[in-house]
Amino acid sequence: MGKKVRASKDSAVFSAVAYVVLALISVACILPFLLVVSASFTDEETIARFGYSILPRKFSLEAYGFIFKFPETIFRAYGITIVNTVCGTLAGLFLIAMTGFVLQRPDCRYRNKISFFIYFTTLFQGGLISWFILMTRYYHLQDHRLVLILPGLMNPFLIILMKNFIKASVPHEIIEAAVIDGANDFRIFTDIVLSLAKPGLATIGLFLALAYWNDWFTSSLFISTPAKYSLQFYLYNMLNNTQAMRQMAQTGAAIGVEAPTESVRMAMAVVCTGPILFLYPWVQKYFVKGLTIGAVKG
Amino acid sequence: MKRTLLTLVALCLAAAISFAGGTTQSQTAKRTTATGLDISQPVELQFWMLGDAPKDLPAIEAEVNKLAMADLNCTVKYNYTTWTDWSQKYQLLLTSGQPIDLIFTAEWTDYQRYAKAGAYKDITALMPVAAPVLNKFVDKSGWDGVKVGGKIYTVPAMYKEYVYDGFEYREDLRKKYKLPEINSLATMEQYLETVLKNEPGMVGIAETLAANQFSAVMSLTAEMLHPWLDRGMPQYGLAADNAKPREMFPYWGSAEHLADLQLFKRWADKGFWSRSILSSTEDIATMFQTGKLALKMAGINPNKFATDLVAIKATHPEWEIGYYPFSRTTGVVHPVHPTHNGYAVPAASKNPERALAFFEKMVTDKRYNLLTQYGIEGKNYVADNGYYKMVGDSNTNGFGRESMNGWAWRNPEYMLFAPSYDAVKKLFAEFDKVATPDLYNGFAVDYLPFQTEKTALDSVTAQYLAPLQAGLVPDVEAGMAKFMAEAKKAGLEKIQAEYNKQWLAYCDDMGIK
Amino acid sequence: MMTTTRSLRKKDGLSGVLHELSKNRILYLMVVPTVVFFILNSYMPMFGIYLAFTRYDFRGGIFGSPFIGLQNFDYLFKSGSLWRITRNTVLYNLAFIAIENVLEITMAILLSRIGGRVFKRTAQSLMFLPYFVSYVILGVFVYNLLNYEKGLVNTVLLSLGGEKFDAFNTPRFWPFGLTAAYIWKTVGYGTVIYLASISSISDEYYESAQLDGATVLQQIRFITLPLLKPTFITLFLLSVGRIMRGQFELFYNMVGGNGVLFPTTDVIDTFVYRSVTKSFDIGLGSAAGLYQSLFGFILIIAVNRVVKRVNEDYALF
Repeated sequence: MGKKVRASKDSAVFSAVAYVVLALISVACILPFLLVVSASFTDEETIARFGYSILPRKFSLEAYGFIFKFPETIFRAYGITIVNTVCGTLAGLFLIAMTGFVLQRPDCRYRNKISFFIYFTTLFQGGLISWFILMTRYYHLQDHRLVLILPGLMNPFLIILMKNFIKASVPHEIIEAAVIDGANDFRIFTDIVLSLAKPGLATIGLFLALAYWNDWFTSSLFISTPAKYSLQFYLYNMLNNTQAMRQMAQTGAAIGVEAPTESVRMAMAVVCTGPILFLYPWVQKYFVKGLTIGAVKG
Repeated sequence: MKRTLLTLVALCLAAAISFAGGTTQSQTAKRTTATGLDISQPVELQFWMLGDAPKDLPAIEAEVNKLAMADLNCTVKYNYTTWTDWSQKYQLLLTSGQPIDLIFTAEWTDYQRYAKAGAYKDITALMPVAAPVLNKFVDKSGWDGVKVGGKIYTVPAMYKEYVYDGFEYREDLRKKYKLPEINSLATMEQYLETVLKNEPGMVGIAETLAANQFSAVMSLTAEMLHPWLDRGMPQYGLAADNAKPREMFPYWGSAEHLADLQLFKRWADKGFWSRSILSSTEDIATMFQTGKLALKMAGINPNKFATDLVAIKATHPEWEIGYYPFSRTTGVVHPVHPTHNGYAVPAASKNPERALAFFEKMVTDKRYNLLTQYGIEGKNYVADNGYYKMVGDSNTNGFGRESMNGWAWRNPEYMLFAPSYDAVKKLFAEFDKVATPDLYNGFAVDYLPFQTEKTALDSVTAQYLAPLQAGLVPDVEAGMAKFMAEAKKAGLEKIQAEYNKQWLAYCDDMGIK
Repeated sequence: MMTTTRSLRKKDGLSGVLHELSKNRILYLMVVPTVVFFILNSYMPMFGIYLAFTRYDFRGGIFGSPFIGLQNFDYLFKSGSLWRITRNTVLYNLAFIAIENVLEITMAILLSRIGGRVFKRTAQSLMFLPYFVSYVILGVFVYNLLNYEKGLVNTVLLSLGGEKFDAFNTPRFWPFGLTAAYIWKTVGYGTVIYLASISSISDEYYESAQLDGATVLQQIRFITLPLLKPTFITLFLLSVGRIMRGQFELFYNMVGGNGVLFPTTDVIDTFVYRSVTKSFDIGLGSAAGLYQSLFGFILIIAVNRVVKRVNEDYALF
């Protein structure tokens, strides 16, 4: 009896401390983001004269108006990015999980060599020029929609993380049991691993989705048809365009160039973040206690 | 899961198959142009330009292709690098060896260096054959100006404009405080002091983030102080008097340099700019247009002034903008160097003659030129009394004036200007009276002999000279001595000797006395 | 003792390789797509490393350009900055690794132990927000916060009767400032990894520990932390290989090219960026990248070997 009381008292103290610390950190994390949102609803002049604040000093939809000036183009960019993210994440997650599964099998003799083979690519890179030459002249991916998906499918960092997650959540005994029952490795992967390693899958899936969602670099290098731009690139490019037009020595009055830049930059951040913030809570539930217990007991 | 993978694989295969797509059937009938250029085979030219494509580009491209097929049995595809990472893309386009036929060049995109490294085709012999009209249209000084090692690698633009500098200020504030005309350092100082004292929240002078070394203030004010110091100088501390261009002398470390630095210190102490200016993230164009900046000084040429006039009239019609070009004080101004806007044929092009012939059409043939500069007459623009007038506004019109960024294929004979440009034209007329040719911007020094020293010097300049220029160092004399000592340690003398050597060789090449 | 149905006898030589491949053929087939991907996307482009040793000329292309040996490395090694930039890069990375992981583990543990589901989910989401604020925006905010005349920090200091703080002219401040900015931006992301690891720990351990009377702190010390060790070591090893690569976006956007702060803020990536963009030479960037790669390679091989001797499972390869 006495033991239980002591246990609950100290866990209550711990919880209280935890709540306070987490609350503080959460506030620190959200504050700058509030500045971003508030600045996106202000006009450029107010920002330039008075700086940033938590609540907009003067409410204005100028920045959003600028971004959504040609709504069809931005919605198309949204569409492209969503398709890329979904396809890339599903395909990539499957391949990464499969690789991670193989790499953590103690009975796979060459797993360390393969791990090194994969990891080595993060140490040495051939550089942008040679990669660009291969992609455009030999793989013919110039201005092709696949180029937005393919390079991002595999990431050594995620593969290694996945390997760890699978090792931690799928005890080797379960796999051995399945082998005895006559299942082949691929079946073991699809039936057992994919259902037991949910926290790992959710994490890697989230990271992969974020990487695809935020990618503007691939569009910048390879895509020349505006209809195929990803959302991030479309917006980022819009910003660069207005800034560059300001720097360039142009003949003749540039018409309609009083484009807001700071407020647009903020609005861009909001526009890009919005959809992901809806994804994240849905993914969160997989980080709750695992489902591994019970499987080994039986 | 499996199904998704299979779908993806199917997509890949479909994509690969679509690439095996058809090429156009070649006509076998022999065709030549009036000058004897063989145009029997239809080709598609890949044309690359910097910046973003205008919205209505496909329509214009279609019209141009109609003409091009009839005249030259070719079509063109216009491609744009966008402004994102454009210089890296430019480099990739050339190094990847893609078959590009025409690409923009300028001294500010490293034209000379790319030419020396063999990125462009040598068109000296090709021009008279493939594009004789254009060959004659460009005058001798144009061709001479773009020569690298005696050979021609680009077709220069013929529109003579001035991008020389000056500063903009708030004329309405000057009048409000009954200040004298701003035409000298003293009057500038007076203006700034009064305005900053009476208009809280305003900043005197600022610098755009890209520069980050506050050198713009230094070199531009120096342009006003020292008529002999040309725009773009000092280079590695060297400067030359316009009267004696061959003789480069060290400006860094000189008495004038010290005096200039002390001036900046005085201005910094008066609070004309922020002490944190070296890390500033603020954009000066925005600052000026929103009324935060009193004096805009970095890279302000007449065009920027005209842009501001239009922009500010829309948002703050009660303000007045004044512009003062440095040439009024110094009497020195140059039109742009021929290398400022040009078009070259990359080395990997398979159709150099056709590309040049096509470019000739774009510049000299009025139909092509007006289409690609202003759009379709009646739909995108109208010529109103010799002026350019946009149809609709920027939201409805998909092709604004020069929205294809056609700076390099302007033809002065066909150009149309907006009425607001008259202010700029007036300044250009003023410049014409005193203009002398630009001697310096055609010279691009080869860094390889002093690459290491250059890197070291860049770090030293950023660490020691920039704060001096921003007036942040309490003891200017000591600070300058420290800078000079560090610069010498980094190898300044070696750099200056090598630079001088190459400059003299360039002068000999170009016939500069 | 239960043995697996597959033979544990290892055979040597070519027949050994073939035996292994056929024994586990499905496993190896499952990694074929990955291997092909890396060959096409990462190994084939490696010929670009040769650029580090040439002076690029378009007439010759990558392999036809004049070979200049190690000359492209001179600007790195001989310009006098090498010690400073290497030291800064390594020290910042060590600080980042240490503080980041400690904080992330702490946050993950705290989050996993509190009861309120709504609070938990909200805190997690909020902690993730910094990921979406780009370094460019963060740079703008930091400038607004710290600039000498109008910055919020200085306004507050003045109103409290103190003196203004000239952040952008004080090199000593920035190691703290930059670390704080980096931690702020990455904590949420990394916490997720540890959270996922914690959630794979079976509840049974905690239940039986609690029955034995263990306090919360004891449970953390004896159950959670040891079971998080593999994840931590993996993340640590992954960081070691990249120890010579700085967070370019972070450094460039926070302080820009402000030379006054170079002694404490100039890292390899910003140094190279400055040298390469103002210069035209293509081989320079490749040379710097090769330097960073070699250094990281040697380091990770050594560290991985040490880790392997302690516990083979923890090693990366």
